[in-house]
Amino acid sequence: MTSRHLPTFLAGLLVSAVLATPGAAAAALDRAALVAGLCGNAGQMFEAAAALTATAATGSDEDRAWALALPRALIEKTLACDAAGAVLGNGSLDAVSRAVREPAPDARAPVLSLKNRAVFEQADAALALRSAPGAGARAAALRMLERRPAVLPEGLLDAAAAAESDPALKAQIVGLAQTAALNASDPAARLRAIGRIADNPSRRALAQMTELTHDPAYAANAEFRAAIDAATRRIERGIAMGDVLAALYNGLSFASILFMAAIGLAIIFGLMGVINLAQGELIMIGAYVTWMVQQGLRIVAPALLDWYLILAIPVAFVVTAAIGIALEALLLRHLYKRPLMSLLATWAVSLFLVNLVRVVFGTQNMQFETPFYVSGGVPVIGDFIFTWNRMFAIAFAVVTLALTWAIVRRTPLGLNIRAVTQNRDMAACIGIPTRRVDMMTFGLGSGLAGLAGLALSPIYSVNPQMGQNFIIDSFMVVVLGGVGTIAGTVVAALGIGQINVLIEPLWGAVAAKVIVLLMIIAFLQWRPEGLFAVRGRRK
Amino acid sequence: MTPITRDRPFLLLVALLVILSVAMPLLTGTGLAPSRYLTNAIGQLAAFAVLALALDLIWGYLGILSLGHGLFFAIGGYVVAMYLLKHSFVVTGTVPDFLQFMGWKEFPFYWAGFEFFPYALGVAVAVTLLVSGIFGYVSFRSRVGGVYFAIITQALVYVAMLLMFRNDTGFGGNNGMTGFSVILGQPMGTSGMITALAVASLVTLALVLVGCRWLVGSRFGALMLATRDDETRLRTLGYETLRLKLIVWCLSALLAMLAGMLYVPQVGIINPRVLSPELSLEIAVWVAIGGRGHLVGAVIGALLVNALKFWLSSAAPDVWPFILSGLIVLVVLVFPNGLMDLAKFRLTRPMGPKRMEPNRMEPNRMEPNRMARGIGEARP
Repeated sequence: MTSRHLPTFLAGLLVSAVLATPGAAAAALDRAALVAGLCGNAGQMFEAAAALTATAATGSDEDRAWALALPRALIEKTLACDAAGAVLGNGSLDAVSRAVREPAPDARAPVLSLKNRAVFEQADAALALRSAPGAGARAAALRMLERRPAVLPEGLLDAAAAAESDPALKAQIVGLAQTAALNASDPAARLRAIGRIADNPSRRALAQMTELTHDPAYAANAEFRAAIDAATRRIERGIAMGDVLAALYNGLSFASILFMAAIGLAIIFGLMGVINLAQGELIMIGAYVTWMVQQGLRIVAPALLDWYLILAIPVAFVVTAAIGIALEALLLRHLYKRPLMSLLATWAVSLFLVNLVRVVFGTQNMQFETPFYVSGGVPVIGDFIFTWNRMFAIAFAVVTLALTWAIVRRTPLGLNIRAVTQNRDMAACIGIPTRRVDMMTFGLGSGLAGLAGLALSPIYSVNPQMGQNFIIDSFMVVVLGGVGTIAGTVVAALGIGQINVLIEPLWGAVAAKVIVLLMIIAFLQWRPEGLFAVRGRRK
Repeated sequence: MTPITRDRPFLLLVALLVILSVAMPLLTGTGLAPSRYLTNAIGQLAAFAVLALALDLIWGYLGILSLGHGLFFAIGGYVVAMYLLKHSFVVTGTVPDFLQFMGWKEFPFYWAGFEFFPYALGVAVAVTLLVSGIFGYVSFRSRVGGVYFAIITQALVYVAMLLMFRNDTGFGGNNGMTGFSVILGQPMGTSGMITALAVASLVTLALVLVGCRWLVGSRFGALMLATRDDETRLRTLGYETLRLKLIVWCLSALLAMLAGMLYVPQVGIINPRVLSPELSLEIAVWVAIGGRGHLVGAVIGALLVNALKFWLSSAAPDVWPFILSGLIVLVVLVFPNGLMDLAKFRLTRPMGPKRMEPNRMEPNRMEPNRMARGIGEARP
């Protein structure tokens, strides 16, 4: 026990020795003197209020808890001063020792001057912000303090913010702390505050800096002006960097969705020469299956509701893969020698699926729960927030990529797929069941589309038309990337996703699509086979 | 190919069109005249039939499937709508809705001169030739074909739709253009004008049909079929197919534009919906159902599917998409040559040797995996 007390004691000694400021001195608060001040004349009362505010900023927890009741008692005239000190209100507790005692018969309630009332209200709010048990009381205290932020002792708001448990209130306190420090009377404190604000660049910080250029000190004080200008430059740089990162991040998440929508398309196209116009609808079905899993969990196992996005993965894959296999077996099997007709046939399927879903579920957007792992985000720099729902899509795409690559490169099925893609006749000659490979591949490609639907359900709205928004972009990915290559699909999806997102803020989403299409048509002049052509037998 | 004089279905269809276009104005005022609704519907169907012929020319006879013919249809439609609005404005002083909607005081500069029909027609032809010429040239030069070409044309029409949905382009935005009141100095919406437009569409259809029939029956038509059936062999023999494909492609685009110019005055509105990929796919469905590579079949397919659509989308709008998808599946699985199979079914032995022949309508009888790389041939 002693060994635990010793360092605390030494630290206390050290603090009192080094910091001779009044605030630090309050660490050893003279409670009796303070209460005497409360009962003194107007000047003594003012000093007592300042001591109370200082206690709120730098005092020990016990002192703050002790002091909490005093200003309120004074304001509400429940403090009775007598010769032995003072007695607190209705509970009849001695103000200093908090022992029960009755006030002397000649006890009087000190009267607050108008000026002192304001400082005591502030002291009360400062103490409440630090020590009040309820978040509501702390929020009320903060509102009170916001009226005159410039007179608050330095460190009070920072300490309050550090101790605050309610995140919304904490953000408010931090904001007020910055404003308070910026408007502080001490120039050094202002400069420190400017530096602190520039550490977290945002548009709001930039607005604060712009406001400060109208401050009289900006014209008068060269150091102040230099600090403001430097901070403005830093913030602008931070915002620009944040914008770039946000664009890249959005582009990456869009590219992930595109990749997942296109990879199935690319594999099927490479293998069979069939463009599946119903791929977008398989994406839509994947999202609807996810929704149904969520609804099912709501009934069967509400405790697992948050994990529906994970639990739906196998379901979405299996359902869409089954639809794909059925599609292949019933329809496309007969159309391999007529690829243009297969376009019409798959369009018929897409028309059918869209209208089926429309009839069954209606045209409105489906409501999805937002599990904790895809909600919110981490603010990084400027206005760039690293949001978890986009990160989910990116991570999902990366895992899908790894799995697809493993299946195509490392499994017997993948070996067969590659063989049939390269030369169907030779593959058939050496005994590969090409028809079965076709069917399995179609199932794989369709299942991947279902997973794409799952991954985009936390980001995009889910309705019967959603598939059509992605399908043309994913065609472009396939055309650009080259037929049946995973690497080509990845590169093309990244390229198209980034170009779309980079052009969008400049000229709008439509211009982005137009430019991407024109670039692809121009690109095909140069490399008609796409970025990565599979080496196969040329005709 | 059967000589024109012995091509009975063709002669029958042309005769029917001629009789209809003569009878409709003659019957006006008598009790036998078709109702305004029916007359209008006949005119619209004729415009769709021209559109189907346009696609059949490039798909059925050259093996190039375009899923973007709605683009050329829309160019014709938008230009004629601009003509009608500007003309109505000059004659009656009605300010078009979209100008009021955008709060614009006057027409954008590129609307200048659109009140003159010949100028509007010239613009439509020029824009169509420009778009189809450039797109066709770059695509055919780099040997983009087959499925690739189809999906790039689809992307083209989709992008055009997004562009036209914007309200600031000066083409009516998502509301499109409507409120046409005067055409060629005559008021629109009268029975006489409805009949006149319908007859104009029927006559155009008949002329286009005869023209196409003449074209595919000529030496040029033989070259088209040769390109469709084996382009590689044709090129190996020393014939450059680029020019041929480009000419037919531009001609097809012009016919689609013509269909758009006939369609819009009759339906009274144009909006970016005509640019939706669905409409362009539907054109291919009409042709597939009627029978690719048969001009009469394409016309009949367009007429049948659209008549069914007119009827069903008012009687049972929810059922129509299901019926359409069912029809497509039926056609691609059971009747690969559409109604022409049905006709043969009746006229010849059901399992006759002709049915066992390989399907000659396909552009390229290659293996599918190589078909996928149809664009990857060696370049000159």
